[in-house]
Amino acid sequence: MAPPRTMAKALLSLVDVQVRRGMNTVLEDCSLLVEAGQTVVLTGANGAGKSTLLETAAGLLPMERGRVQHDHVVVADAEGRRRKSPFTVGMVLQRNGMLGGEVLAEHLQAAMSMSGHSVELDPFLKRFNLMHRANDLVAHLSQGQARKVAVLAGLLPAFASPTPALIILDEPDAGLDEASIDILGRWMNELRTMGHALLVATHDERMMAQATHLYDVDQGKFQTTTAPPEERIENRTSRPTKPLSPAAFGVKMHLRTMMWLNTNAMAGLLTLGILLALGDFMDDLDRLQQMGFILAPTLAVGLCGDPLVAALREERAGVWWRAVGGGEPHAGWIPLAIGAVFTFLTTNGLRDGREMHIVLAGAVLCFLVWHSVGWMQRSTQRLARPHAVFVGLLTPVLILPYSVLISVLS
Amino acid sequence: MLFIGFMGIGTTLLLALLWAPSVSINAFESPAAQRIFYWHVPAAWAAFIAFGALFVGSAGWLFKRSEWMWRLHVAGSEAGLATGLMAVWSGCVWGAAEWGTPWDWTDVRLNSFGLLTLLAIYVVLGRNSQPDGVETRDTFAAFGLYGFVLVPLTYIATRIWTIRHPGPVVATGDGSSINSDMGLVLLIGAVSFTVFIIGHMMTSMRLTALEQRLERMQHRFDGGA
Repeated sequence: MAPPRTMAKALLSLVDVQVRRGMNTVLEDCSLLVEAGQTVVLTGANGAGKSTLLETAAGLLPMERGRVQHDHVVVADAEGRRRKSPFTVGMVLQRNGMLGGEVLAEHLQAAMSMSGHSVELDPFLKRFNLMHRANDLVAHLSQGQARKVAVLAGLLPAFASPTPALIILDEPDAGLDEASIDILGRWMNELRTMGHALLVATHDERMMAQATHLYDVDQGKFQTTTAPPEERIENRTSRPTKPLSPAAFGVKMHLRTMMWLNTNAMAGLLTLGILLALGDFMDDLDRLQQMGFILAPTLAVGLCGDPLVAALREERAGVWWRAVGGGEPHAGWIPLAIGAVFTFLTTNGLRDGREMHIVLAGAVLCFLVWHSVGWMQRSTQRLARPHAVFVGLLTPVLILPYSVLISVLS
Repeated sequence: MLFIGFMGIGTTLLLALLWAPSVSINAFESPAAQRIFYWHVPAAWAAFIAFGALFVGSAGWLFKRSEWMWRLHVAGSEAGLATGLMAVWSGCVWGAAEWGTPWDWTDVRLNSFGLLTLLAIYVVLGRNSQPDGVETRDTFAAFGLYGFVLVPLTYIATRIWTIRHPGPVVATGDGSSINSDMGLVLLIGAVSFTVFIIGHMMTSMRLTALEQRLERMQHRFDGGA
């Protein structure tokens, strides 16, 4: 049952949604409407489907039936169609949704940039006693501090957004101290006053006190409650900023953490090392065989896939990016550069030549193979145990473009 | 049916080794090894039937959410793995004797069939590594569909990119290139493998149904809905 419609804008509508997880049907004929200026709090026992409802509302989960709309835009439906939300979406998952290699302030700026605007960060950090940690890596924070950062990353896009935003919070109070929960409640009230819509799952009475409506997920019943009076706490100046794309974030993480060195580059270096150890053997080979050996280290680099895929499973960072950024971060142009470097090294090491067209072909091969394996890795993300799947068994399919390329080059 | 299939395959082997005529020593490097052809070709034929079932089952699960179709997906992938491996290893043995190499990376037909078999291994092992659920079924059914793209590719490869692997000897449209006795043994092999693969899939579907029933009973004992 949906709450009665008012004249306010409906930011979120779930229409007759059915969602299955594992062998169970978690949501059945679920309909829900959240309008601008409302705080809808989901209640229900553990396992009732609160988190499933929130992730469905964010367009993260596939449905068996029904659709999810943000305003009049269908962001997800049972036919598998997906569209980007027309609104700024703020999201707090049960996990923190960020990588240990991110700097605290950078993560918050990135979250805010999704709205296309930003506000001054310092007042928020001061209220949560994080000012002295602004330039620390997330990995260096305590669990409570990391949770505060995750909560801020969910709320800040709405504070920065000049237009109504949808804020989805999954137990944001979990792990926060009393003072922080009090501040969080006041911020939620302020966001509602600003005309944003909040959808919150919680077991905490203080969070429930912020609700304009309660939705019992077990019973599917709506209840209007008396929310605290609207109040505006602080005046903030919002300024336009360029949204950070998932690809730009992925490149930044690759450059900062050098995660490609541990996997891709080592595979390439070992292959190159073995070829060099074989001595002068290239002169006895025909052109096709020479090309096969020259591009082998580059192929090895690409076959390792994108190490960012595994990293993004940390704290469900990939899921958070899909919810707020419209896609999962990836290595972008990094494979082109690494592929070019390895092909250049191999041509020099094995043939003593600098043929630029081969270097270019190596770069393209590395790019295609790297992102293809990355796609294979991502295709198993929905599984309960994605790490247990034998994705490597699919990689021999990439021998075909490799064979075609060496044939063309020879 | 499985038993009849086994008997037929055994008969095919006996006929292939003891009764089928020898091939000309001028046409083959290793005429004795050519007899593996009576196993290799029917196994590949049965693999295509199994991969077809995998495709239909995958599509049926994804678009109809049919439990029966999911069981067909499971049965098709397992049968495809079994017969695909039979075709691949028998081909390797024959290739080693006839060409002097068990594998040729430049032969598209060989490689695309190998990839299809690898996909079957991926689907079977991957599915067994996951708890049963809609996420697992959707993911592996999608790979089942993807794999079937390789089937027409393999089919086209037999006609266009025949580099080392011989072209088809039956159903070529311009008459068969093998004599009647050889054709009879091949026919018995193809029928036997077809019966075997259908029996295998029926047994597998029954097993999956029993596993699902067991899981439901365990769930009931756990106190679930």
